[in-house]
Amino acid sequence: MSEVTERSALGGKVAGIGVRLPTLLTRRDLVVLVVFAIAVLTMPTWLVALGGYEALATKIVIWAIFALGFDILLGLTGYLSFGHAAFFGTAAYVTGLSLKHLSADILPAMALSFVVVLVVALALGVLTLRRSGIYFAILTLAFAEMAHALVLSSTLQKWTGGDNGLTGLASPSLFGSRLSDHSVFYICSALLIAGYVFARVLRRSPLGLMLRSIKENQMRLEYTGVNVFAYKMAAFVVSAMYAGLAGSLMVIYEPYVATKYLYWSTSGEVVIMSVIGGVGTLIGPIFGAGFMLYFENVVQAFIGEQWKLLLGIIFVAIVIFLPGGFADLGRLGWKAMGGVVRSRRHNVPDMPGSVEEDRRRRQRGDLEEDDD
Amino acid sequence: MTINSIFLMLVTGLQLGAIYALIATGLTLIFGTLGVVNFAHGALYLIAAYAAVVVSNELGFGLAIVLVPIILFVVGIAMERGLIQFFYRRPHTDQILVTFGLAIVVEELMRWIFGANNIPFALPAWGSGQVLFYGLGAVVPEAIPGLRIPMPFVNGFVFFPAWRLLLIIVTMLTIVALFAMLQFTRFGLVVRAGMRDPEMLRFLGVNVTQRFAIVFGLGALIAGIAGVFGGPVTQVSPPVGMALLVPSFLVVVIGGMGSMFGALLAALLIGMSLSFTTGFAAAAGDPLLKDILTALQQIVIYLVAVVVLLIRPRGLFGKKGVFE
Repeated sequence: MSEVTERSALGGKVAGIGVRLPTLLTRRDLVVLVVFAIAVLTMPTWLVALGGYEALATKIVIWAIFALGFDILLGLTGYLSFGHAAFFGTAAYVTGLSLKHLSADILPAMALSFVVVLVVALALGVLTLRRSGIYFAILTLAFAEMAHALVLSSTLQKWTGGDNGLTGLASPSLFGSRLSDHSVFYICSALLIAGYVFARVLRRSPLGLMLRSIKENQMRLEYTGVNVFAYKMAAFVVSAMYAGLAGSLMVIYEPYVATKYLYWSTSGEVVIMSVIGGVGTLIGPIFGAGFMLYFENVVQAFIGEQWKLLLGIIFVAIVIFLPGGFADLGRLGWKAMGGVVRSRRHNVPDMPGSVEEDRRRRQRGDLEEDDD
Repeated sequence: MTINSIFLMLVTGLQLGAIYALIATGLTLIFGTLGVVNFAHGALYLIAAYAAVVVSNELGFGLAIVLVPIILFVVGIAMERGLIQFFYRRPHTDQILVTFGLAIVVEELMRWIFGANNIPFALPAWGSGQVLFYGLGAVVPEAIPGLRIPMPFVNGFVFFPAWRLLLIIVTMLTIVALFAMLQFTRFGLVVRAGMRDPEMLRFLGVNVTQRFAIVFGLGALIAGIAGVFGGPVTQVSPPVGMALLVPSFLVVVIGGMGSMFGALLAALLIGMSLSFTTGFAAAAGDPLLKDILTALQQIVIYLVAVVVLLIRPRGLFGKKGVFE
């Protein structure tokens, strides 16, 4: 931990390279990022070779943004949200409404959904972040379902389209020219790459360090006088913004807002992607998103509607046997070949509660709750 | 708003609360003793509802009432022994994830076997029809069939579906039986002790593991009862499990996690708030008011949860210090 602090605190010159790089980006990062960018940008080509189709690449990139943001909350901070559909769906609806009623240009749509998601995230954060663990998961799930119920309600039907979703949107344009499928893909990819850079920098930044400390031991952090709630809120909001961005892009990719964007299944899908790919690794959830959509679109052609059942079984098996997800598979393989791997804590540890919670528990005289 | 419609709203509220109460009781039982939040509890309800349809079609409804809870008890024990027990030592998030995954697997399995649509659940002859409540001095025409129950303050007479009334009664009996078991039997004593301090219980030489498997089975059994009697009311289709699980979670949270009595009260609160907003929305004359009430009806259970959690974060009867 101290090593990370020093590196980020010192900044400036990075050992071994003669040039001054931004504090939080090392040469290794640059290599990773270039490889990542090439992999993403060439996806339409190699995905087709794997049996996919070009448009699937856009969808994968969008979901990858969603999963990446989710990992900032779950992987870095240790909060399992079951309500990220609330942000994805809200942004999708706001973008849809803007495209329908305001302008076909995507910039005002995205700006508007950015603001709305920010407000929603702050409100939900205030309500849910005072709890951790199980409580947080249940509450986020409940409030997302509330948003879903509200959108489907007969009162809002005139605006949201009710069960049919929001249809009849203008085809999205940018600066007056209509967006082609290709340009949508490159916009999404650029945002994914930028989002990945941001997430990597965030992970190494002092803020990221705080978030990881929250995951490790929130109570101890609180004892040192840190305003833990503010950091949790920051992680929650950043994560929600990624989800909102993805929701917005989804509607730009396919000008139609499905009600399922707000449904718990969307939250569930992002959870599944992250866990399958490897929580806390940033690249894992991105890979998980690709795997899941590939599975949905390509494997479905072979086994039909049962792909969801198979996916569920794979998910359960991974939770049981490989809590680190596919990212761990790579590490295990590397180790088997004689490579050296740094030990990494599997999955999310139990979060100790707040100081207040602990004090009350001590008064009751039972401390066994935190033993595992 | 007449006295009769208020009476009907009360009974409807009881009926809506009844299903949530049954599912939430099972959740609370499992959470309180085992510390596991069972995201697959809605899936247990789903299994029960489908099992009830199959058994009642093949062997008659009477047997379904007996068999389905037993089947679910076995399913519950199998689930605990086969999967959940390996997760007691794992983080809470893993427990949530694995039960969530299981819920998806069950839902998809049901979709595969029985199709995505609602399958009809025929009521037995003795349970269909309406029950009639009549007030003082009401003249009820002889021609109207069905059970008649005197209800002094009702003006004239009102009808209520017999099956829904049965659901309320069955729920009450189930919960009374459960409370009696927890309060007056040796097994119940051990379970209650386990809810307070499982470690101490283990030190005292009680085989906690074996009993906890039974507790999980019991939670599943209650979901089984809910499935048999609730199935005809809720629908029998794959999404029903999750649709019931979310409000039941809220019931548990509002009541205070781990508190049985709190869960009951919260279920009642949610049932009533649902039935009253629906009733008022239906009765509202002003279109704007009607619109607002209809929207309110969709989200009222969440609003109740928000209010309770803001005022009393640990829930109505939450134990001090537990998930506060």
